[in-house]
Amino acid sequence: MTVASPLETELRVFEAHRWEWAQSHPGKFVVIREENIVKFFDEYEDAFRAGIRQFGADRNFLIKQVWKTEPVYFVA
Amino acid sequence: MATFKFPWNPFDPGDPGPCIKFSVTRYVDETEYGTSIGLEYPEPPIPTALIDTGSPFTIISKVLAKNCNLSLTNPTFPIRTMNGDCECEEYCGSISFPGSGLPRIAAARILARDFYKESSYACIIGRNILKRWDIRFDGQNRMVTIKA
Repeated sequence: MTVASPLETELRVFEAHRWEWAQSHPGKFVVIREENIVKFFDEYEDAFRAGIRQFGADRNFLIKQVWKTEPVYFVA
Repeated sequence: MATFKFPWNPFDPGDPGPCIKFSVTRYVDETEYGTSIGLEYPEPPIPTALIDTGSPFTIISKVLAKNCNLSLTNPTFPIRTMNGDCECEEYCGSISFPGSGLPRIAAARILARDFYKESSYACIIGRNILKRWDIRFDGQNRMVTIKA
């Protein structure tokens, strides 16, 4: 039996829409819970608050910043 | 506006860098709701954090993130360090700085990774927090001042 990784479904939904959203909402933060897409936000913190309002405090949801390719941040 | 001053000697080879006490908890609205329905939350640990202008994000140990029961918002967040690439997890939590008088940050983006060597601190305060502060280092007096 395989155990699903956390937020695996949400990551699949994000990847399915990544290219389209990178055109329409570049740099915005999207909130996804299972197949539900809440909205796009300018700031991560606003996206989190919206997710809490929509899904409650006891459910995980994905927050991803929309870029065509995944950025890798440098930590010095 | 709160002001917090503390000494830091960058010329001491044993000094890990400018450090400050901090605590991290679940997002404040979550804990307030939980408390209202009778849930109890343990007092958070108060580890030491390194103030690091070289990090774009605040990073804590994965052990601390799990112990504090933070909300996972992204299980795979890649970063690049001098030692190579590594995968972090991304959480949202509230950060406070006990004993400093600095205001609590109600919702902050927090990355979590394994801390193997950094025994002096369990957190890196990155630029996503520093952008909220006016922070100065007085080299002659070896004092750090944070205003927020």
